[in-house]
Amino acid sequence: MYNFEFEKPATIADAVAALGAEDAQALGGGQTLLPTMKQRLAMPTKLVSLSGIGEMQGVCSNNDGSLSIGGATTHATVAAEAAAQYPALADLASHIGDPAVRNRGTIGGSLANNDPAACYPAAALGSGATIVTNAREIAADDYFQGLFTTALEEGEIITGVRFPVPEAANYQKFLQPASRFALVGVFVAKFADGVRVAVTGASEDGVFRWSEAEQALSASFSPEAVNGLQVDPANMMGDIHGTKEYRAHLIGVLTKRAVAAAS
Amino acid sequence: MSVAKPLPHDAARLHVTGAARYVDDTPTPRGTLHLAFGLSQVAKGRITSLDLAPVRSSPGVVAVLTAEDLPFDNDVSPSNHDEPLLSDGTVNYIGQPLFLVLASSHRAARVAARKAVIGYAEETPLLTLDQALAADSRFEDGPRIYEKGDAAAAIAAAPRVVEGTFDLGGQEHFYLEGQAALALPQEDGGMLVNSSTQHPTEIQHKVAEAIGLPMHAVRVETRRMGGGFGGKESQGNALAVACALAARHTGLPCKMRYDRDDDMVITGKRHAFRISYRAGFDADGRLLGLEFTHLVNCGWAQDLSLPVADRAMLHSDNAYAIPAIRIESHRLKTNLQSATAYRGFGGPQGMVGIERVMDHIAHDLDLDPVELRRRNYYAAPGTATGDNTTPYGMEVSDFELHEMTAQLLQSADYAARRAEITAWNERHARLKRGLAFSPVKFGISFTLTHLNQAGALVHVYQDGSVHLNHGGTEMGQGLFQKVAQVAASRFGIPLEKVKITATDTAKVPNTSATAASSGSDLNGMAVMAACDTIRARMADHLARLHQLTPAEVIFDGGSVRIGATVEISFDEAAKLCYEGRISLSSTGFYKTPKLEWDRIKGQGRPFFYFAYGAALTEVVVDRLTGENRILRADILHDAGASLNPALDIGQVEGGYVQGAGWLTTEELVWDDKGALRTHAPSTYKIPACSDRPDVFNVALYDGQNREETIYRSKAVGEPPFMLGISAWLALSDAVASFGTTYPALNAPATAEEIWHAARRVSDGV
Repeated sequence: MYNFEFEKPATIADAVAALGAEDAQALGGGQTLLPTMKQRLAMPTKLVSLSGIGEMQGVCSNNDGSLSIGGATTHATVAAEAAAQYPALADLASHIGDPAVRNRGTIGGSLANNDPAACYPAAALGSGATIVTNAREIAADDYFQGLFTTALEEGEIITGVRFPVPEAANYQKFLQPASRFALVGVFVAKFADGVRVAVTGASEDGVFRWSEAEQALSASFSPEAVNGLQVDPANMMGDIHGTKEYRAHLIGVLTKRAVAAAS
Repeated sequence: MSVAKPLPHDAARLHVTGAARYVDDTPTPRGTLHLAFGLSQVAKGRITSLDLAPVRSSPGVVAVLTAEDLPFDNDVSPSNHDEPLLSDGTVNYIGQPLFLVLASSHRAARVAARKAVIGYAEETPLLTLDQALAADSRFEDGPRIYEKGDAAAAIAAAPRVVEGTFDLGGQEHFYLEGQAALALPQEDGGMLVNSSTQHPTEIQHKVAEAIGLPMHAVRVETRRMGGGFGGKESQGNALAVACALAARHTGLPCKMRYDRDDDMVITGKRHAFRISYRAGFDADGRLLGLEFTHLVNCGWAQDLSLPVADRAMLHSDNAYAIPAIRIESHRLKTNLQSATAYRGFGGPQGMVGIERVMDHIAHDLDLDPVELRRRNYYAAPGTATGDNTTPYGMEVSDFELHEMTAQLLQSADYAARRAEITAWNERHARLKRGLAFSPVKFGISFTLTHLNQAGALVHVYQDGSVHLNHGGTEMGQGLFQKVAQVAASRFGIPLEKVKITATDTAKVPNTSATAASSGSDLNGMAVMAACDTIRARMADHLARLHQLTPAEVIFDGGSVRIGATVEISFDEAAKLCYEGRISLSSTGFYKTPKLEWDRIKGQGRPFFYFAYGAALTEVVVDRLTGENRILRADILHDAGASLNPALDIGQVEGGYVQGAGWLTTEELVWDDKGALRTHAPSTYKIPACSDRPDVFNVALYDGQNREETIYRSKAVGEPPFMLGISAWLALSDAVASFGTTYPALNAPATAEEIWHAARRVSDGV
């Protein structure tokens, strides 16, 4: 690890100011960033910890029925506190990584990193969530822009995420057995005006919506509705843990499982 | 008597509390240096330029050594003198050590090692079996062939024939403690080496060669390893030799341990095989003729590949009397890590071959796979009506599997479960359960006959305490405890009176590796011989004191009874003998009898006896994803008259899980440049505690060795590994339920492999 400065502001405003420094980097739970720094694959001059900012912590319900989660809220907290309002989201959070990861890692950190095998991007895109930053609000559909790439500007902080709560939802994850990351993960959410299906782990472009399945499921929310639909393997990831064809196939299987579990 | 008691491992408390010392835990003198290798980044070629200036100027670096700096022999091969410690300019695989960094800390050495600027003239590497075969890149002149009868004619005349080819992956040892060594230079130029090795004498030999001294100047000590599995039979040489050279160069103690990623990238693994078979049989499933071709991926150096590939051939019959058989084995040289010893030493690969054939025939005939196997079994002792010899001409005279199979099928409720599973599978389209039985017959002895010897050194002190030393090494398997139980039993004293000590080349010389499952067999006998020598001297003296014969002196229960009236404690007896000027120290020696083997002809008796086992595994498979679970495993294993049933059952459980891991989740992947891409637990999946079967019934067969082994026990290190084959066969059985064609699973049967197989079966794809 290279040397760096460390700051732990108490307000969003102070954090934004601190991130104005050259090569400063926001630190969530550090579950990806710190190992990356240990490998010397990242060399920020300053880390700005977001964990001391009270207004970025916790889970609460809004008047319109949606759920707001502070950007610095850990997976373990989401698993515990979102369980009543949005059980599918809480369930997803409760299966990220291991207990150590869940007690340190944050939703904002996960979404800002946008790892192609991470779980939260599927929940955010699948729910049609709104990513709230210190500067603006970004629809999930506009937010995810490819592997490790998002709409965030330099120094912009995810202060919270607002999730519309669907009528029914479920997340299914196929584990790569060694690392237990998602080889493929599918989040299905049924709203009054239609169904959303978001897929993580599988595509060379990161999380994406499977629109054909969404149309079919919006017409009939049943596993059978997905029969005959197939994601094109060409754009899938092929690596040491699975071929493109296997990943494309698993998307269909996991989508059906998610629908069956949600309905 | 402590023999046969289910006592815990002697160091169990130390293991659990963390107090057990491994090489890296050993306190080192001030100024100890730490070493790291600079590794090749290309798989084949020549080094055209090597700029080490950035390495030398890296913080903490004391010296950097290359092949040119080595004073004597630059070789760490256990066999063919083809494995330079540091590259001689030729590069043979990605991960090959090129230079050695000596630094003030482990980290400083590793950081510096990456700073070299290296130019290569790259050549096209041979990475696959096909490439090596096409290039005729091999060890030995041509294939080794063992034959019995005319297999081709028997197959041609057979009513039915199945044939096939499948791939069988390698396996990383994944010992919990990585490779490690520590060298302490002595005042006279000699070297004391503390090594995590299964083979201290080999370390002594290679270190002596490297520093140009006789073996007497090098002393190697090994208290314990945190797992070996064969991975520390030859792979520790490089570290120990590097430490000794660096210690000689600087006059300072030197220590080296591989980081896990480096360990996986540098060291050899289990040999990957491709096995082709053609089997002729009759309508009842009796094998008439069988041909195997083994393509063996040996990696870049010979290491132990010849005896490994031999042993695969020697287990191509497993438990079955095959009238005509031909086994052809190609030992191919590729630009990968040099494959090495791994629990079973080729036996598992050979056995998977024949069990695959049995699975295929049972599918072809729609015959119960257990019944098929029983029809082909060797004859039980005394029941053979005709030929009952192996493909290499050894009479099978201790075949226990008829009785063991019957017992296991009954205790595991095979018939009822088979029927229930068949009915269940008819009701379920997506999930199928599978059930499979596989037997193990594993030959015990080193096939290099002269290795079948062992020595021991036992002292009885004047207070009646006993110091025990022998040539075997402790790698977690419990050898020390089993041998200590033997010593305690010979003297009739409680186990606590026997002190277990580190393996030490200065105490017992010229030892063989603790390998080939031979540890307890060989060292137990050597210790018994030493103890009996001392006991006879004591009995003789005590008898004379009381005008009796030695036969009237009985050692039992911590006491010594002398005639009908006198009973003294063992401690008093030791004191009396000391005062009577009786030598209370003895060596002991053992060599395995009856062995005679010609590996070129493939004829003789390479094994003293066979160890047997039987396993029944139940799995469930999901057609849509290939996901699978082992639901239940039932095992009956033959440890003869077990020296310690608790330790032996531990070996059986661990062996099964490790064997099942090899054939299911453990997948080694190299990229097209020859770089190992699975070099950490995040990418390479070994079985965890939660992956063991939910129902896991393991029992030892109530028998005893028909040969005269130590207390009629049997070796138990390797044989249970092959019980895991039943898990792979159970997956095949489950997949077969999705259609009518034979699944033809490759190994490892990962979820994706099972998914492909299920599609082949159900779609004909």
